Order: sequence, then C-alpha cells, then structure tokens
Amino acid sequence: MVYVSRPEHIVSGCDAMANVLVSLLVIPTVAAITVAILGQERAALVRWVSLGATVVNLILAAVLAIGFAGPRLRATPVANAAGSEAVLRTFEPPIAVSWDVLFLGQNGVAEGKPSAIQFYVGCDGLNVWLIVLTTLLMFSGVLVSWTSIHERVNEFYAWLLLLETGMLGVFMAFDIVLFYVFFELTLVPLFFLIGIWGGPQRRYAARKFFIYTLTGSMITLLGVLGVVLACQSETGELTFSIPRLVEIVHGRLALDSPAERAFWTAVPDVRAIIKHMFRLVGSQETVGMWGGVEFWVFLALSAGFAIKVPLVPLHTWLPLAHVEAPTAGSVLLAGILLKIGTYGFLRLCLPLAPDASLLLGVPLIGTLAVIGIVYGALCALAQDDIKKLVAYSSVSHLGFCMLGMFALNTAGLSGSLLQMINHGLSTGALFLVVGMLYERYHTRMMGDYGGLGARLHLLSLFMVFFCLTSIGLPGLNGFIGEALVLLGMYEVRPWMVVVGAGGIVLGAWYLLTMLMRVFFGPVKEPIAGTEHGVPVSDLNLRELSALIPIAVLCVVIGVYPQPILETARKEIELVADYAAQARERQANHQLRPGNLSLPPGNLDDSLLPRKSDPRQRFDDEVPPPKEQPEEQP
Amino acid sequence: MSQEVIAALTQAVSLIVPEIVLVLGACAVFLGGTFRNDRHLWGVGALATLILAGVALWRSPPSPTSAASLYASSIFVDQPALLIRWTALVGGVVLLLLSWNAISDSLSGEFHGCLLLIVAGLSLTGSANDLVTLFLALELTSIPTYILLYLFRIDAAAQEAALKYFLLSVFSSALLLFGFSYLYGLGGTTNIPALADALTHGEENGISVSRLPAVVLIALVMIVSGLGFRISAVPFHFYAPDVYQGTATPAAALLAFVPKVAGFISLLRVLGFIGLDPRTNGLTLGNETPVFLWILAAFTMSLGNVLALLQSNLKRLLAYSSVAHAGYMLVALAAANSVQASEKTSGLSSLGGVPAVLFYLMAYGGMTVGAFAVLVYLSTPERPVENEDDLAGLSRNHPGLALMMTLFLFSLIGIPLTAGFVGKLLIFLGALAVEGDRAIFYRELALIMALNAAIGAWYYLRIVTKMYLHTPIKPLEPAKLAHSWPVLAALWICTVLTLGLGLPNPITNRIMRMASAPPISQEPGSALASNRPRRP
Repeated sequence: MVYVSRPEHIVSGCDAMANVLVSLLVIPTVAAITVAILGQERAALVRWVSLGATVVNLILAAVLAIGFAGPRLRATPVANAAGSEAVLRTFEPPIAVSWDVLFLGQNGVAEGKPSAIQFYVGCDGLNVWLIVLTTLLMFSGVLVSWTSIHERVNEFYAWLLLLETGMLGVFMAFDIVLFYVFFELTLVPLFFLIGIWGGPQRRYAARKFFIYTLTGSMITLLGVLGVVLACQSETGELTFSIPRLVEIVHGRLALDSPAERAFWTAVPDVRAIIKHMFRLVGSQETVGMWGGVEFWVFLALSAGFAIKVPLVPLHTWLPLAHVEAPTAGSVLLAGILLKIGTYGFLRLCLPLAPDASLLLGVPLIGTLAVIGIVYGALCALAQDDIKKLVAYSSVSHLGFCMLGMFALNTAGLSGSLLQMINHGLSTGALFLVVGMLYERYHTRMMGDYGGLGARLHLLSLFMVFFCLTSIGLPGLNGFIGEALVLLGMYEVRPWMVVVGAGGIVLGAWYLLTMLMRVFFGPVKEPIAGTEHGVPVSDLNLRELSALIPIAVLCVVIGVYPQPILETARKEIELVADYAAQARERQANHQLRPGNLSLPPGNLDDSLLPRKSDPRQRFDDEVPPPKEQPEEQP
Repeated sequence: MSQEVIAALTQAVSLIVPEIVLVLGACAVFLGGTFRNDRHLWGVGALATLILAGVALWRSPPSPTSAASLYASSIFVDQPALLIRWTALVGGVVLLLLSWNAISDSLSGEFHGCLLLIVAGLSLTGSANDLVTLFLALELTSIPTYILLYLFRIDAAAQEAALKYFLLSVFSSALLLFGFSYLYGLGGTTNIPALADALTHGEENGISVSRLPAVVLIALVMIVSGLGFRISAVPFHFYAPDVYQGTATPAAALLAFVPKVAGFISLLRVLGFIGLDPRTNGLTLGNETPVFLWILAAFTMSLGNVLALLQSNLKRLLAYSSVAHAGYMLVALAAANSVQASEKTSGLSSLGGVPAVLFYLMAYGGMTVGAFAVLVYLSTPERPVENEDDLAGLSRNHPGLALMMTLFLFSLIGIPLTAGFVGKLLIFLGALAVEGDRAIFYRELALIMALNAAIGAWYYLRIVTKMYLHTPIKPLEPAKLAHSWPVLAALWICTVLTLGLGLPNPITNRIMRMASAPPISQEPGSALASNRPRRP
C-alpha cells in the first residue's frame, strides 16, 4: 500500500539526503516521546536528551544545507556565463521523498496511480535556510530554558520538541494537505507551552492565540481544498502535490483563452453581486459575477497566513502571546512561527494565485504591510515592557517582509526571504537576551533598569549587537534584507517605500531609546537581583553558546549574503516569473475591449488614486451581452 | 408454502445472520436474567454474542449485488451497509464495556438484552432496502432504548429524561410513518429503489423532474423531521441537552451515538443517496431537497455551537456539541445531493458527501463516546464529574486520562492526526466539489462550517485549559476511583479508533473504498429496465 515514489527530477545520490530529511522530522518526535516517558524526576536527563536531539538536528540541517547548496553554488558561474539557464517550470525539490498515505478516488491520471494525499517532503531554495534557522533557534531555545523551567520539565521539553517537528514539517511539506496538517500541529504544542509555563495571563493568551490562528487556518483549509478541486475540475486530475498543482495552474493560465481566464482570473463583480442580492438584475448579468478561482483561493489562503504573519488588523493576538510565553516559546514564536505565515504566502499564495496576488495582493496586503511597519514601530515606541517592545518590533519587521514579497519581483522576493531569516535571527536573539535579563532580575520594565552596561558587560554587548542587527546597520544582516525589499518595492509602489523607510527610522528610535534607558546612564538595578544576597552574574557558558552562533550568522549574512540568495535564486525567479506573467496578462486584457474575464470595477481601482472614473470604464468595456455568442465561435 | 417463498426466505435469512445471532443472544440473556442476577455473567454473555455476531459478519458470504436483487429484496447488503454493521458492533462493544459497572446486578440481564437488540436494530437499519424494514429496524433500536434509559438509575431527573425521550421519539416515529405513507401513495411500492425509480420516471404520472409536487415535499419534510429528532438536528434538538444531563453518563453516550448513526443511515437510504440504481435519483431530484438540507445544516451547526459556548455542565456541553456535529454531517448530506447529480464524480466517489457522512459517523462515534467514557471513568458516586470545574487539574492526578480526553477534544475540534480532522477534510471536499450554478451556496456552507469549527474550538479548548492549565479545585483521589477495567478498555478502543482513523493506514483506506463503493456492480449490458417492477 505504501510505496516510495521518486519524482523523475531527483538525481541519484540524493538518497542519503532524503534520509536526512526524514530524520529531521523523526528525531524530535522520538526525542519528545522519550522525554515524556522519562518523567519529571529525571530533569537533568530530560534536558540532556533534548539538547542531544536538537544538536543532532542542527548538524543534520547543516549537512542538508551544505549538500543542497553546494551543487547550486558550484553550478552558478557556468549558468551566468552561458547567459541562459533552464528555468524551472514549477517547484522541483532536488531532495525529496514521498509516500502515498490516504487514497481519495481512483482516477489518478498519471500511469494509473490512484490519487492520494502524500507524505511528500522535500528541500529546495525557499525552505532550506528556514530549516537551518529552525534547528538553530531550537538549540538556543533548549539552552535558554535550562534553568528557567523547573516545573514539569519533561512535559516542557516534550512539547518543545514536538513543536520542532511541526515547524520543520511545515517548511518541508510539498503536499498541500501535509502542509496544512503541520501548520495546524504547531498550534497544539505552543498552546501548552504558553498556557502552562507562561506569564500571569497565560491561559487567556494561550486560548486567544489558538482560536485566532485556528479560525484563520480553517479558512485556509477551504482555500487549499478549493485549489485542489479547481485543478481537478479543469484537468480531471486529483492531486495534492504542490509542484503539480502549481504546474497545472500555470499550464492552464498559459493557455490564455477566454474560458480559462473566466475560470481562473476573473475578478468578482462586486456591483453585480450587490445588485443580485437585492434582486436588481436578471440572470443574464449574473454570469461570471462570482469571479474566478484565484480570487477566492487568494482570499482564503491569506486569511490563515495573514493572521500568522500577522498583518496589522489581525495582529492583536501577537503581543499577548509573545509576552506571556516562556522565553523559548517567544523565541520560536517570533523566530519561526511567524515565518510560517510569510512562507505560506511565498509557497502557496503567490504561485497558486498570481493574478489575484497582483490585483488584490499588491494594493491590499502592501498597504496593510506599510501600515504594520509604522503602526508596529509606534506601538513599540510606547512600551515600557522590553519584551512587549520586541514583540511589536516583530509586527513592524514582518511588515517589511510582506512588503518585499508583494513587490512581486526578484529583488523584493529575495529581500523578503532574507528578511525572514534575518528577523528570525535578530528578533529570536533579542527575545533570548530579554529572557536572560528577566531570569536575573524578574522584571522586564525599562523603568526598573539603568546603566546595566557597567554591570553585565557581555549581556549588554549582545543586546546592543542584536539591536543593531535589528535596526539594519550596514554590514549586519538586517541591512541587506531591508535594502532589497525597498529596492524591489520601489519599482511597484514608490509611496510605500517612502512610508516604509520611515519605519526604519522609527525602528532605530525605539531600539536605541530602549538601549539608552536600560544599558547606559547611571547604574540602577532592580532590587530583585540582589535579593538573595549574591549579585547577579554575567552570561555563563551555556547562555553564550546559545547566543554566539546566532551572532556569527548575523555577521556572516551581513557581509556575504550571496550563498542564501544564490541558493534560493531559482525558486525566487520562478515565483517572480509567474508574477511577471500575471502582469502581462493583466496588461493585455485590460486594454482589449469586450473582455468578460476582467470586468471593470475591480478592487484595484478603489485603492489606486490615479485611475479614471470606474463608472466610465464600466460603460466602455462591458460588451452588450448579445455580442458574446458571435465572438466566441 | 411455495418453493419461491421458501427460497426467498432462506436468502433473506442468510443476509441477516449477524442480526439473528444478536437477537437470539438477546433472548437468551433476557431469559437467563430472570434466574440469575450477575452483571459479570450477562456482560460476558452479551460480549460473546457481539463477538459471535462479528464472526458471522466476517464469514458472511458476499451478498448478491445485481439489479434484480436490488429491486426485489427488502434487505440489501452493500458496502455502506457492511460499514454500518461493523460500526454498530464495535459501538455495541464499547457501550457494553462502558456500562459494565454502571448497571446493577439485578437489572443486568434486561440491560444487556436491550443493548443487544439496539445493536441488532442499528445493524439492520444500514441494510434496509424497504420502507417497512427500515421503520422496523428503527423501532428495534428505539424501543429497547426507552427501557434502557430507565435501567441505570431511577431518580426524578432520569425519569424525566426517559419520559421526554420516549414521547418525542414516538412522536418522531409517527412523523416518519406519515411521510412513508405519502411515499407509498406516490410510488405504489415500499421498496426504496423501486420508489425512486417510480419518482424518476414519473413524468407520465405528472411528476416533473425539476419541480417536485407538493405531496412529495410534504413527505420529504415529514421524513427529514422524523429522522431529525434522531440526529438531533435543529429545531428537533431541544430534548438532547435535558436528556443527556438527566440520564446516566453511559446512557448519554449511547444516545449520542446510536440514534445519530441510525438517523443518518436512514436519511441516506430514504433520500436515495446510497443503494439506488445509478440511473434513478429518488428524492434527490428537484431543487428543494438541497435547499432544505442546506438550511437545516446551517442552523444545526451554528445553534449547536453557540449554545454549547454557554454551557458549563459537561454533559449538556457534549449534547450541544453532538448537535453541532450533526450539522457538519448535514453539510455533507446537502452537498452529496448535487455531487451525485454530476456525472463527473463517477470515478471520484471519495470526494462526494456520502463517504464523508459515513466516515464522519465513525469518527464522531469514536471521539464522542470516548469523551463520555472519560467522564464515566472519573465519576464516583461520592464525586460525580458533572461540571467543567470537576476536571480542573486533571493532568496532575491522571495524566493518561487527561491525555486521552485531550485527544478526543482535539479530534472534536478537528486537529490533524485525529479522526475528526479527516472527517472534516472529507466534508469540506464534498461541499467544495459541487460544481455548476449552485456551487456558490455550498462554498458558503463550507465557510459557515469552517467558522463554526473555530467557534467550537473555544469550548472544547476551555475543557483542555481546565485540565492542563488549572490547579485542581477538589482533587480527585486516584485511590477512590473504581479502576474498572471495562471502562478502561472502552476508553482504549475509542482512543485507538480516534487515532487510527486519523492516521493514514490500510484500514482507513479500506473504509474510504467501502464508503464510496457503488451499490451495484456494473456488469455490462445488464438489463436494468427489464428488472424494473411494473409501475402501478
């Protein structure tokens, strides 16, 4: 029943790598079960087992990254010299493995194979660095919880390790249902992590986080199934594989026939729908009223991802969850889980709904991202709680990520991907340092601190360093990502860049203010620190080993980001190419009169100021219904 | 007696061997119960009967699936019928184990006899191919249930619950019969496929395909209302919370499971979603049925979920939750209609609403009965577990039980790797697979269901929060628990079911295939028309 199928493009010699891929998921799961069985009493053993598992995973991820990136980096100069390289037609993970797991229906087209939901995991340019980032932050997360968690230790580490499985699974999944399964499975461990080991408002925070995300992801599920069924109704092939779905969608879109356009890319005619609700129109005018598949798929997929990112009106769960979570939870929440949202946009939304991303995504999500950048920064400026400040800074930084993504060009997309990794590193590290500070003084209020730079040299050093990476100082990682994002967006919507750049200034403002108040000036320590008679000590070896790898990576990426950009180039160009095709389609068909597929009055108009009066265009472009049959044959 | 009748009888008997075993076992237990009062003895006897019926079912020969037998026999065992039979037997075992210690010695004979009859009735409902058989099977389930509700304990609340259930159930049976009588009047036959055939080819009788006459509509409304009581669809749900709360917990588990399975399989049969000649479409013709089911589904799930939010009594909460889940299944039922109508699905039957309903019934059984089983296990006479607060801090004292309860609750929410997720996935697929003009309505319905699932998560999660994130208010003494192994065994069966149906495995795939199997093996050139009975 279960068999391993190897897609054709998998080169031989990758078997070992495929094993690594599976081991990355198996090791944390097995470790989680082991740790849970070990029991509460053997806390030391539990910690060491968890650390061992995360270290092994980190090494495996490094092996995977090297094994994956090596061929690509070596191949690059040749391709550049030749000037033309075989462009990907769809995502083709060079390292992948798949098993059929749940059969649905019998009429799979490909060589009599029944359609099935697959356990299809793989590694390509988009996810390889995120996998590394996940394992790295897990390593730091385990270390930072070493002494701060002393209740129900085994449960804590079990949930933490399960969370790692879930996060890695989301990034690796190439089956759309598998992606969703992992997407939801990350909720459960985090619910318990926040709810049991969190701060004073932990129960409320945990439930709010869970319900908020679940609501979005339920709608995402509808979108996921919608796109699967749309492909099935068009081609008769029922598939859940993301590469295959992308291929089908673009194969159909490339046909560029009126019927296909009406099916996929048509924009719902809001006016007709409203008229229809009040029974003002005849059935003639309701044809195509609901628009094409892409539009709804985009909206449904975005619902879950936008909550996860979070985009601004949907961000209210984030400060609460971040602040209440234990340090490791905050680190992973900010570092990895928010990236699941952006990654979802990149992997599913943009390739599967390119036209809707262009028509609706750029104005809508772009605007929300810009608002998020400024609003998040302003909120961060107003905080007294350091952790809350970092949490709001996440909202701001993720705004940059989304801004770059919806530039829909190579520069913007690369910047966005880089920004995902950068934010994971620097904000993850900031949460680590804040957690270490809290462990020492049991307060996070800026007002309680002052001049810590004189007392805790190393801790202050790292705090200043990570703040600088977060601000985007040239030479450190944040700069590259933000620069690429703004560069990419400038071609599309210059005004968004202007406002977004203001966010960078604000970012510098709130982080430097925080540094000034806490680490410089006259020494002022909270009383709690000296409560036990012993003054607090600086960072120890354990804490240093949690921070140093991240710091090193920050510098490396800041100086030499090419490996990441080069390895992801193929996939980034693929997504950018899809967007370019969508632009072309839009340009062609909006000019041609008598085109039902893009009825005027689409939402783009209302958000773009310089278009002409939509009502007039309505009259110009919609053909009289009777002409339609004459044109078709 | 002519040879033909004898042959027909032998054939009919051979089809219902498992049910006959169950009924004979029930008779034996009833009779024996008058001589000895020993709950262990009769429990073992009933369990043996169930296992024997399982063996009989396992060994039963494949029933004829020709068109002739479809139109002729009143029992038709197709793949969905087999699924329901297995569901009934497994459900019977779980319910038996669940009430092992809840029943007093003196009443144990009657209890186990009734339970066996209920299982037999449920099992028969799945394969009923005739209105009369269907009604008899439903009554075979209902009547022992009335008795059973009285057997657990006799206090005012239980009496009120039993009486309420009895009156409403009888009323619903009357509605059902009323609807059946209209159908008989229209088609001149009680055989369901023949009836569907008569309605489909009824144009010469003045029945238009696109618009059903008022008589059919009345029949339809009556039948769906009558069965609506059993599946606790809004507005026929109102008895559920009171009855569940008033009666003993094992009985509540039974009420949450058995009538629902019986009701849904009857709906599938009567409305002609399964077991029909593929060339006819029974009551699924016309535009009215889907609209009716749409409204029923939307109201059932929304009201069930919203009212469940307000509950703090666990049994009331689970009652409303069962209402909500009935709504989810109705979504699949509403969609099944239109999916079946399109020819495209002939090879893609796993996407339809019917397999979704069948799968969800099993998933629902596992998780809901499991949740009740946890309550049964934790309750002691001194300290009944009634409210959410009684579960506070459960993870400290009983980590294993808390984990099981969490599994059931997460399955009810629909978190992946549980049966509930696969069920929801199938329902969504069913609802979204509808094409054509009306597709948008099913997409709206799917959206309503998605939002409902999120609302539902709130109250299930509240229980998880209580168990894991709160400290015990009145700690449960582990020593005080009865440690009854039968309940524990029932819990384990439910756990295995909930996980097993959620994790992909050969059995899940087998169930999917069975649930979506066509009723008649399509032999080429089978002269269906000639087998069609003469219309009056």
